[in-house]
Amino acid sequence: MAKIYPIGGGKGGVGKSFITASLGALIAKWGNKVVIIDLDLGASNLHTLLGMKSPKIGLNSFLNKTIQNLENAAVPTSIPNLFLISSFHCYMEIANLFYAHKLKIIDAIRKLPFDYVFLDLGPGTNFNTLDFFLTSKEGILICTPEPTSIENSFRFIKTVYYRKLKQLIKKHTFDLLLKNISEDFNNPGLKPPDILEIVLKHDSEKEPFLRSQLSKFKFKFIFNQFRKNLDASLGDQFENICNRHFYSMFQFLGYVNYDGRIQDAIFSKTLYVHRYPHTQSAADLKNIAAKITKIIPPPSLTDEV
Amino acid sequence: MKKFDELNYYEILKIPTDSSYFEIKRAYKEALSLYDEDSIITYSLFSRNERDEILKKIKEAFSTLIDENKKAAYDQMLIDSGQMKASISFGEKPYSSALRSSDRTIVDESHLHSRVKEKFSAEDIQNLSKEMLSKGLLSGSDLKKFREALGVDIREMHSATKISVSVLNAIEEDRFDRLPPVIYVKNFLKTYAKILQLDPQKVVNGYFKTISLSHHTEDSNSN
Repeated sequence: MAKIYPIGGGKGGVGKSFITASLGALIAKWGNKVVIIDLDLGASNLHTLLGMKSPKIGLNSFLNKTIQNLENAAVPTSIPNLFLISSFHCYMEIANLFYAHKLKIIDAIRKLPFDYVFLDLGPGTNFNTLDFFLTSKEGILICTPEPTSIENSFRFIKTVYYRKLKQLIKKHTFDLLLKNISEDFNNPGLKPPDILEIVLKHDSEKEPFLRSQLSKFKFKFIFNQFRKNLDASLGDQFENICNRHFYSMFQFLGYVNYDGRIQDAIFSKTLYVHRYPHTQSAADLKNIAAKITKIIPPPSLTDEV
Repeated sequence: MKKFDELNYYEILKIPTDSSYFEIKRAYKEALSLYDEDSIITYSLFSRNERDEILKKIKEAFSTLIDENKKAAYDQMLIDSGQMKASISFGEKPYSSALRSSDRTIVDESHLHSRVKEKFSAEDIQNLSKEMLSKGLLSGSDLKKFREALGVDIREMHSATKISVSVLNAIEEDRFDRLPPVIYVKNFLKTYAKILQLDPQKVVNGYFKTISLSHHTEDSNSN
């Protein structure tokens, strides 16, 4: 079974696609079969980051049944072992995915015969993004060291919880009462402990069950676009706070330092870790990839990628 | 995952129980800045009230742990409620006395434990426990009734839990004004519940619901 890592986080422009492409490339280079799936539906551009033209085959072929198996929608990239499933040629209204299509995609993702699957998710907290994020218990959040981004990350976690709780409520025979409380969730000032508390207020018997369900998540997070003059303990602080005030486990994977050349690489449609393998940021990405896979990168390869 | 209000003072400051004065002070400063309203991490996470509550607890933790006497009393409470091993805090004191007292506890507890367990299997006791916990509200007199039903004497309870008889009485008689600070009461209740084979969290929740209701009705009665 493939290890699946959805890559999300509330805000746009924090580098989700960049990090997905970079981690995919690094881990593939270490000899694993990796597929990255562009699930930023309606705004997909993962192929560009990999220096590719938009592939004709992709999620569209799977949804319109030209191909039966999602595995066959994965096209090879310029990097050996790294495959891409693009959503570029999906129908114009793909952003409003049909529910049945979504379930079909999620089900197929779980069955992909790869070592690692990375899902590049869109910004925001719409249902598609959340449901794709819930494909695995080990989602990775990307944020930048800015208040707005951190705030959005918290909101993202809360909505993930909310979505999960809703799924659980639907799936299990909970009180009717409980099913009617979702309006309480719409309060924008909702704090993380509130979500569970609201549910528990109505049905305290379910506490151990719900807690244990939420404690199964092992969130990971990365601070991207980190700058030298910032507080170097930010990541640990974030980890500490999340572990204390949310119901799951959080792991800080590391910083990716800001480098203007990342922008250059994107503009010239080349993969940054390929073009600038000796930079601090490339080393950061390598460390993160090693932490996720628990692979010690082979030293002979440190000169490439 | 433990919630913040279930953390003990050491966990709040993220320090080991044998931390030095300087370590405690450094940890305290770090905790203050992490929960400061200008902290980039937490500014959006808490309401003013929640933040004040957290900061209050951090200050409580600090003022307790830097004061030798208060720290010793607090450690004792942690040991009594089984959250800390005796040998850690008694490390510098004559070892034998610590060893003896903990040995005795184990013997007493195991004896009491088997007796309670035997009684607990009886149907009427089971029903009584179910009925008591199903209400959501739990008073001290409920606890007392249950303890007596199991045939556990208050002296026995005292020697098994190391909670003083006066505090046990205050708990069982719902004299909330005589109770020690919240964190102690929570831990006492958990220990108490465990001895009687009750779900500790349910007992704490039910008891504190009763306390908060009583605060609503007699708001003026503050200490």
